[in-house]
Amino acid sequence: MPSERFVIPIGPQHPALKEPGHFEFSVEGERVTGATVRLGYAHRGIEKACEERNWVQSLYLLERICGICSHIHTTAYCLGVERLAGVEVPPRAQAIRVLIAELERVHSHLLWLGVAAHEAGFDTLFMYSWRDRETVMDVLEGLTGNRVNYSANVLGGVKYDLDEARAETIRKGVDYLEARTYYYLELVVHDPVFVQRTRGIGTVTREQAEWLGLVGPAARASNVARDLRVESPYAAYDLFPVQMVLETAGDLEARVSVRLKELFESYRVIRTILDKLPTGEIKGRMPKKVREGETVSRVEAPRGELFYFIKSNGTDKAERVKVRTPTLCNLAPMMTLAIGHQLADMPMLLAGVDPCFSCNDRSIVVRNAQEAETRWTWEQLRRYGIEVYKCKR
Amino acid sequence: MTALEQAQGLLAAWAQETRTPEAGRLDVVIAPEKLVAATTALFDARWGYLAGITGLDAPKSGQIEVLYHFCAGAYVLTLRIALAREKPSIASICSVIPAASMFERELAEMFGVAVVGTPDPSRLFLPDDWQDGVYPLRKDFAEEASHAE
Amino acid sequence: MRLEELWEQLEARLATWGRTHSPWAVHFNSGSCNGCDIEILATITPRYDLERFGVKIQGSPRHADILVCTGPVTRQARERLLRIYEQMPSPKFVLAVGTCAISGGVFQGCYNVVGRVDAVIPVDMYVPGCPPRPEAIIDGILKLLEKAQAEGVAT
Ligand code: SF4
Repeated sequence: MPSERFVIPIGPQHPALKEPGHFEFSVEGERVTGATVRLGYAHRGIEKACEERNWVQSLYLLERICGICSHIHTTAYCLGVERLAGVEVPPRAQAIRVLIAELERVHSHLLWLGVAAHEAGFDTLFMYSWRDRETVMDVLEGLTGNRVNYSANVLGGVKYDLDEARAETIRKGVDYLEARTYYYLELVVHDPVFVQRTRGIGTVTREQAEWLGLVGPAARASNVARDLRVESPYAAYDLFPVQMVLETAGDLEARVSVRLKELFESYRVIRTILDKLPTGEIKGRMPKKVREGETVSRVEAPRGELFYFIKSNGTDKAERVKVRTPTLCNLAPMMTLAIGHQLADMPMLLAGVDPCFSCNDRSIVVRNAQEAETRWTWEQLRRYGIEVYKCKR
Repeated sequence: MTALEQAQGLLAAWAQETRTPEAGRLDVVIAPEKLVAATTALFDARWGYLAGITGLDAPKSGQIEVLYHFCAGAYVLTLRIALAREKPSIASICSVIPAASMFERELAEMFGVAVVGTPDPSRLFLPDDWQDGVYPLRKDFAEEASHAE
Repeated sequence: MRLEELWEQLEARLATWGRTHSPWAVHFNSGSCNGCDIEILATITPRYDLERFGVKIQGSPRHADILVCTGPVTRQARERLLRIYEQMPSPKFVLAVGTCAISGGVFQGCYNVVGRVDAVIPVDMYVPGCPPRPEAIIDGILKLLEKAQAEGVAT
């Protein structure tokens, strides 16, 4: 006998995801029978804005498509525009781009691990992984001066160089993170609570993944070999090759372990780059106007293939910049897959593809005139906490 | 035979013009009514996956060009279709590739290209109070027009 | 008579004390790039640990005292922002985090952007930065509470 049908709206403001997206699940009892999505809460009209700004201004705009993978957006854009303009980018610059891209992948995957753990009701892991993520944030900040939106890329090269001392701090950070990642990998396959929420949930077969056009870790968890760093090495990936990480199970657990195993590849590449950084300039000369033409620029963002189509009309502004983010590819298949699952699995399923709906200045601390520090240490924060409490009383 | 040569062979029956704009890319111009057939041919041969749909507005030539990008490894194949700027319309390819739904919704609302037969024609990105018939990625778009009275 | 007045004063002070010592906050992203949001999330994690100040970030606007806003306000999110603000019980405070929330940032002039947060709802405290550091966000919240305490929180 058919039970009653309900439509459950989730979002746009909801505790599960920090970004706005509106989902509607129709359910029969606890089973999901239909799913639709409405985006646009974070739609700002960036593609149009790129037509009104010049090549350099667009760079900073595109960086702010997404604060989590800001560097990869500008990498895709820079590689495309440089190709159109016929600019040679020095190898050192390309290597630094890859270095930062891999650091960004580390930060993004750890962030995701925390969010996924939170969805699974495993907040301890959330706190752990975010605590460790601070290590890579420190590294990124040391390298570029900002924790998010580093603006390391410029047209023709990069803005920041690094020396041996900096390299050493990066190595230390990576060593620490590597040890932690082993621990997490151990944890996610053995912790019974976590495994119950991930094993056999949201399984995507290889055929489905190929047919539905999944990209990134979500595809690789279903044994689909799609990784542009391997298939079409851009920037300096030909000098510093990565190995593709594949899993066969295709369920949420596989998506977790693909991401964690990828981290080891990232650590390895980061170390190799630090050891064998090419010498030379970090920036080539970039003309103000870019000659007419069209180009496609594809890079592997932490969430999958990021696709840029850039058309120039020979002026200092773009004729068209088209951005296709990995989330748009992965969201539609997930809506299809949601059907038949338990409602309670929805947050996990959504988090499984790591959706990113949004996809400058330097760090600022609001400070009193008396305080000279621009950054707080752990201890200072602790003391501040105590003081605040004391004087409130 | 590289993947692109294979694609060229698959599409030979419908190709009006073939170009290689850069290394690893192939642009094939086809007529609008041939889109579904060409997509099916690619799909049946398991040639890559649909990576996105780009619209290009060219008011000077009175056309809107729609680009269907298919990727296979490092190769990018683009089906290019020119539509008249007045009342542009194209058939949906969702019957072949269901994942195209999002791209088609985007194309429809950003360029005003009617996608005939797309399963979910509702808005994806633009706000609810957006004026119908105003398309932001067209070159002659003016923001004031987008506010419904 | 005097006793009643005293009692009222005491009540008000007690309420202010309670409110400023354990405020609950709700976070709304009205079109941001995520940068600010992940930094807000970072404030509740072990290194920064906002909860040591008694501040809790939770999901429902109906239980919230502070609304933490990020991003420029997009046309689609405007209604939601207003609604969330209205759903919050009084007294309520708004913290605008990030350049975008303060001025629209790089997204000024984009067709789907209404503009800064205080064009839609009143804002009590601004935290600049793109994105601001977690320490800055914490500082912003504490300054907000200080201000609230000094003014006395009316019911
Ligand atoms: S202020 Fe910067 S980090 Fe924050 S939402 Fe705006 S662009 Fe993103």
